[in-house]
Amino acid sequence: MTPRIRVALLALAGVVLLPGAAAVITGLPPFGATIAQYGERINAITPEARHVANMVSAINFDLRGLDTLGEEFMLLAAITGTVVLLRGRRGEGNTERALRRPGRAVIPRSEAVVLVCRIAGPLTALFGLYVVVHATVTPGGGFQGGVILASGTLIIYLGEGYAGWRDAVRSHWLDGLEGGGALLFTLCGLAPMLTGAAFMQNIMPLGTFRDLMSGGLMLVENLGVALAVAGGFTQLFLEFMEETREADELDEPGEESA
Amino acid sequence: MSAILPLLFLLTALSGTAVVLVRDPTRQVFVIAVNGLVLTILFDALQAPDVALSELAVGSAAVPLLYLVALMAVRNQLPGKES
Repeated sequence: MTPRIRVALLALAGVVLLPGAAAVITGLPPFGATIAQYGERINAITPEARHVANMVSAINFDLRGLDTLGEEFMLLAAITGTVVLLRGRRGEGNTERALRRPGRAVIPRSEAVVLVCRIAGPLTALFGLYVVVHATVTPGGGFQGGVILASGTLIIYLGEGYAGWRDAVRSHWLDGLEGGGALLFTLCGLAPMLTGAAFMQNIMPLGTFRDLMSGGLMLVENLGVALAVAGGFTQLFLEFMEETREADELDEPGEESA
Repeated sequence: MSAILPLLFLLTALSGTAVVLVRDPTRQVFVIAVNGLVLTILFDALQAPDVALSELAVGSAAVPLLYLVALMAVRNQLPGKES
């Protein structure tokens, strides 16, 4: 395809699509003026219908459940792709040592940093758990909590260094977390079908409004998402970190597939 | 409230421009993290705390870290350094 044809195609696409885009943009509600109709409807219905105070969770895990399944597996596929790509180049071997750049001074970690990280790490993990289990009550949910949990493991890296981090974080467990979380989410969709309900229909008792145990099936789905996201992101960090390892046997396999 | 939003938009524009203007990749990563933080505050001010939490965790912690590690790995494998 020559550049000239590309420009012509671009112009053609612009002619076709721009009027539509302009129409949509001019039709948007003014900034900050109104709550959209859909939002108002959700706000009115959800507290009674689902006993849930966090509307975003209600939408994500109940009202449009199947979409969230796709979102969940999108993340899973992206992380699997990254892992396959990186391991395909590097192999599955691990190392205990991080890379030392020649000519760069290695400054020993101060005790204050270690102490702060040892205090902040568990606190961050606790906050992540809090965000996960309170998905139906306060802002946040499985994804946000899962990422906070994953960044809690990063604080271990900050405080204990690479070797300590590798000791604490096992790759196989992360695989299990990631896959198991996605499986749990899928099972939450399939289990209601055993009772004759629709896919991902909320069949568990809904609990009381503004209570930790409100939302029924949403809590379990949320837990699945949190497991998958925490495992997936930590796996991602781990795989990227492994790229900086000491290059001891990085020879033939790297060359042929690169 | 009326003063906070324009200020935050201004900060967003400034930090976004700074990401482009800073040319050293390692520093750029930290500017991206700052941009993420500004966006977090903006989302929070627009009453979208869910999005703000995601942006905080992904935009100012996870993504900068991945960039830093990638930069480190790339620099280590510069041609001519080894073999």
